[in-house]
Amino acid sequence: MDIYRFNEKMYKSIFICTIVLLSNYISFAQESNYNYDEEKDIYKVISNVTIETEQGNQKLSTIYETSPTILVLIYTRCYGICNPLISNLSEQIQQLDIKKDFRVLVVSFDAADRLSDMERYAQQFDLQNDARWIFVTTKQIKPLIESVNFNPKWDSTIQQFDHNALLVGLNTNGYITKKIIGIRGSNELQAMLKEINNEFIVSYPLPRKNMLFSCFTYNPTTGKSELSIGLLVMLAPALITFIIVLSLIKLGKKQRKTLVK
Amino acid sequence: MTTLSLKKTTSAWIITILVLFIIAISFGITMRFNQGRDINLNPDTFYSIMTVHGVTMIGIWSCAGMMAVNYLLSRYVKTSVKLNVFAYAFTVVGVLMIWASTLIGKFHAGWTFLYPLPFRVAWAKWGTPLFLWGLTLLAVVWLVWAIGMVAQILRNYSLSESLAFQHLSRTKTPAKETPPFILISFVSLIGIIICLVTAAILMALLFAEYYSNGGFVNDPLLVKNLTYFFGHTIANEALYLGLATLYEIMPEVSGRPKFKTTWYVALGWQLSLFFILTAFFHHLYMDFVQPISFQIIGQMASYLASIPSAVVTVLSVIFLVFGNKIKWNIVNGLFFLGVTGWIIGGIGALIDATISNNIVLHNTLWVPAHFHTYNAMGNVLFSLAFFFWVGNEFVDSKDYSKFNKLLLALLIIGGFGFVIMFYIGGANSIPRRYSVYPKELNLGDILATLGGAFASVYLLAILWIFIDLMKKCIKVFSSAR
Repeated sequence: MDIYRFNEKMYKSIFICTIVLLSNYISFAQESNYNYDEEKDIYKVISNVTIETEQGNQKLSTIYETSPTILVLIYTRCYGICNPLISNLSEQIQQLDIKKDFRVLVVSFDAADRLSDMERYAQQFDLQNDARWIFVTTKQIKPLIESVNFNPKWDSTIQQFDHNALLVGLNTNGYITKKIIGIRGSNELQAMLKEINNEFIVSYPLPRKNMLFSCFTYNPTTGKSELSIGLLVMLAPALITFIIVLSLIKLGKKQRKTLVK
Repeated sequence: MTTLSLKKTTSAWIITILVLFIIAISFGITMRFNQGRDINLNPDTFYSIMTVHGVTMIGIWSCAGMMAVNYLLSRYVKTSVKLNVFAYAFTVVGVLMIWASTLIGKFHAGWTFLYPLPFRVAWAKWGTPLFLWGLTLLAVVWLVWAIGMVAQILRNYSLSESLAFQHLSRTKTPAKETPPFILISFVSLIGIIICLVTAAILMALLFAEYYSNGGFVNDPLLVKNLTYFFGHTIANEALYLGLATLYEIMPEVSGRPKFKTTWYVALGWQLSLFFILTAFFHHLYMDFVQPISFQIIGQMASYLASIPSAVVTVLSVIFLVFGNKIKWNIVNGLFFLGVTGWIIGGIGALIDATISNNIVLHNTLWVPAHFHTYNAMGNVLFSLAFFFWVGNEFVDSKDYSKFNKLLLALLIIGGFGFVIMFYIGGANSIPRRYSVYPKELNLGDILATLGGAFASVYLLAILWIFIDLMKKCIKVFSSAR
């Protein structure tokens, strides 16, 4: 085989291998499984419903206009996620020793709950005298939960609501600035406190189904970002140039040979 | 060998570039006076002008470098005039598209058109696609032009000869010499091809989002990486093309022997190809999701990129100038001044590329300070030196003795005065890209007015140069030889 044909075969092999490697990487690199609900209703104003407090009926805005607020939706009969949610939140707040101004407004989304049930619930966590915590009920449950996209489903078999553990961050204008679904680490809580206090926090858009080339993919299992296909796109210009230059070298050699002949 | 048609095309390039330069400087002066509250522009007008100013400046001086290299390449290899004419014609079309989108359509996302700004339409709806198609046209046309020039080099020199590998041995004398001009042009053109391919990919991604109606969205970090890989690299490679002309012309007009490709010149320029492609990471220090290693690469590459090209070139110029009798004229005077501006701007860039400093200087006037220094007082002067040299070629004159010191004085006072105002602003944390400054930053107003005044002095010098060169360029069109 002469050197010219050998080179031609080599270039073809490099090209085919590159295409195969690229297509395999595209197929496997973008797998992700995210809960997109946290992004819904962000920067919308919460429904300004009337709530029942120890001091009587008042508008929700009287709470969030005084201080940035974390809204927690629970019901007292819950033997699922509500107790761990409140317990974890109060522990995190104590441990973080937060100096920021904020309140935690715990609202029952169960029409069966009375204000007295909420008072007992607060005592269960030793929060009844903590000025930061307010336990209330409301007769306007539907507009409230709809405005934060919270959708509990009543399961008549177990006589319980099937629902998410949801924290909603409200700034002093009533805007939903951050939502946290599930019991999460203290760094998430700190980010929420920054958001509701209108402080800048670094952010990066979550990968979406129609975002094919992201630079990094967050792995929820390890909690780490991993390199993704987008960074491979960054190598494409060098690779394409390499192929162009190889072709030009070949062409140049051919022309020089012709000139010599 | 230079032909009449090559001279005519080059002359058309020079006239067009200088006309666009004068208008773009006027836009810059308008912006500085607006920041100084001497005039009052609507914010959308200010940002439209800012967009067209930036994209025009980067575009014309990249073209100037490629056009100069195209002209000088004809000394060593057969060049294609048709390709040069093709590049010129479509560059004019691309520029008109971009100017229409910004000045009529009021597109004002900045010359970096950072995603997702082009899609947050605050201008005529057609502004975004016209701007992006204009850029795409320029990227594709210049890509074809650059590939054409690399092909022409590779027709006469093998890859290893083009990269001057045979010069790396300190003992053997190479069988075939690679002139520094060929080496630097080749390395820079390869860099330009890479960054124009990047631009094509970037445009494809932006169009995919624009025309998919939400079916496809881009990752902002990827788009930012691609944008700065393209933008940072083309700005630097354009400057390297200017250096290629310096290596070729400066000794000739100074009455000195030609520069030779030594082992350190060869090694320096080979390494610069790699470092210049990785230095752009210094634009991404604020992107917290990017691994810290990328930020470290950005800082290291920024430092290392300066060693091969800057140190080698500065040493070469110093050896040429000092201790030798030099006939100073406008051509070598502009080259020498350009090297000075390039080095000052480069030091400003290195200060900003140092992570601990960037935390303070990021997005302050320090950024336009350094890039205006190495462009207005570096790359532009390299190209102007070439224009003067080639202008004399057009009129068949080797006499450079007509050397007006006032012209250089206007350039120095106007140019350096203008950039010093930016540096003082940056050192005082005055932010960039503000159409007007808040009252708390009224130092910015004063500096902007002074900057505008100095830039007007610089503009006077450019007008003077334009009138001088116009006469020579027009003569080419009436020439029969």
